[in-house]
Amino acid sequence: MSVAQWRVARVTPLGEFAQPARITGTAVRLAAQVFLVVCLWRSLYSQVETSAGLVRDQAVTYAVLAVLALQIRGLDRSASRDTMLQHIQEGTVLYWFVRPIPPRRYYLVRAVGDQLYGFAWVLVGYTICLTAGAVEPPASGSAAAAFAVSALLAQVIMYQLLLAVDLLCFWTLQNNAALTILRFLQNLLSGVIAPLWFFPDWFLTISSVLPFRYTLDVPLSLYIGRSPLSDTPRLLAIQLLWCVLLAGLTRLMWRKAAGVVTVQGG
Amino acid sequence: MDAIIARDLTKTFHTIARRPGFVGGLKSLVAPARIAKTAVDGVSFSVREGELLALLGPNGAGKSTTIKMLTGILVPTSGEVRVAGLEPHRDRERNARTIGAVFGQRTQLWWDLPARDSLAILRDIFDVEAEEYRRRLAEFDDLLGLSEFWDSRIRHLSLGQRVRCDLAAALIHDPKIVFLDEPTIGMDVVVKEQVREFLRHQVEQRGRTVVLTTHDMTEVNRLAERIVLINHGRLFFDGSLTELRRQFGATWQVHVTLADAPADVAVPGLRVLRRDGPRVAFGPGDGATSTHEALRLIIERYAITDLAIEENDLEDVMREAYLHREQMTA
Repeated sequence: MSVAQWRVARVTPLGEFAQPARITGTAVRLAAQVFLVVCLWRSLYSQVETSAGLVRDQAVTYAVLAVLALQIRGLDRSASRDTMLQHIQEGTVLYWFVRPIPPRRYYLVRAVGDQLYGFAWVLVGYTICLTAGAVEPPASGSAAAAFAVSALLAQVIMYQLLLAVDLLCFWTLQNNAALTILRFLQNLLSGVIAPLWFFPDWFLTISSVLPFRYTLDVPLSLYIGRSPLSDTPRLLAIQLLWCVLLAGLTRLMWRKAAGVVTVQGG
Repeated sequence: MDAIIARDLTKTFHTIARRPGFVGGLKSLVAPARIAKTAVDGVSFSVREGELLALLGPNGAGKSTTIKMLTGILVPTSGEVRVAGLEPHRDRERNARTIGAVFGQRTQLWWDLPARDSLAILRDIFDVEAEEYRRRLAEFDDLLGLSEFWDSRIRHLSLGQRVRCDLAAALIHDPKIVFLDEPTIGMDVVVKEQVREFLRHQVEQRGRTVVLTTHDMTEVNRLAERIVLINHGRLFFDGSLTELRRQFGATWQVHVTLADAPADVAVPGLRVLRRDGPRVAFGPGDGATSTHEALRLIIERYAITDLAIEENDLEDVMREAYLHREQMTA
């Protein structure tokens, strides 16, 4: 793949910059969410010092970072008529097969662009929150390094999960229900709704055998120091395993999808 | 030399038939009934380099499916297809650099981006040199008037403007072969004419091979050198417009007003279709030839004061051809 072809990654950011209202909307929503999350968790900790093994600042940091992380978990491109579902239903997916980039690489490059754009939001949000004292810095230098690697693997797992659900459209011509279920499971089992440490043990056990926990809870727990650093190799190994398994699955799905591609309506 | 070769091309789709009602729905869930539908059935034809071929047929005839197999989007169930020597569905990346495609009702441009940004992204996808890109864009602008609207986002363009951008997008990498699936559908006459001129230029000046599907007979009349007709997935005509007229549309009427009005009017080789006093309508009879020949025969026999020739237009010819095929199938 040529360097020029990687420039396809700029499609989503260009689309966003072309509509300042969208950027303003995202900024306002993100600021409101972070503010409310900080208020909520500080008030929950007003009567206790430690809960579920987390002190107040750890819990607040976890929750705020979870809100920021939502920005890099796959942007909703439906307003731009640019989701896999829309391309398949409207038949525009056929153009993916008449370009010198294979569809799976095109999808990957677009996702990289989306996530880098989302990462820019996270970076700005993180810097502001750190300066304002809404989040604490990493528990240690080692925790920061473990977090960085784990966050990267988490992003790969997240990408593969979303891709698998998108690829379902080639067979079902629909993925709304699958996406809704995925988003619900993702939010519940990854720690978006609340840090997983607050849930009962059986819930943690279930979440440990599913990939969702490894998309958010694991890197955040390493960041705040809730997971001991000695656990890092094991957690990273599990994340790596999920990356490989899901990559194998999605590769197989792409291969089959290319054979079953149908285009709606003539 | 042939740019495109299709031999016994067949595509069968398998769908699941849903039974009516709640119980039927449950049955379909437990024991789905698969239905095979053959959209293209043993189609064979070839297209020479630099030729403009119109692939025609009624709705649901199999034209678009054929084009999708020729472009490598769909994998044929059986048969062989070669485009510029490549098997499109097996060699999609190399094939993509050789062909360009426009599917009229569908855009390949990005909805939220200005048209010029979309074209620049396609330049990157196809690795087009910057200088080449500028030169081609200027040429397309001259022919299609793109600069009037290329800074607008695709979502704000009219259909005609959008399809003109799509044509430029399909040709930005200078492909030798272009597939156009109903490119002018829904356009006004002015834009249609502009697009036709553009296509004519691409064939005559640039030597591109073009495969065009359309329901617009004016377009066929003005552009097509050769016509392939498909119906019910089968090819039933492959030849020039003249041959098509000869085979399915050799009907005409010569309306004359006779200077005198004899009791009986008869011309050997012609048939009297109608008569209203001195006004007579002749049509081809046994051994009838062209309208010129008919005219000669009438003038030899009668003095006339007025004359009009009415030939079947292409739509009539096509209707005749489709109906003929329907009857053959029945």
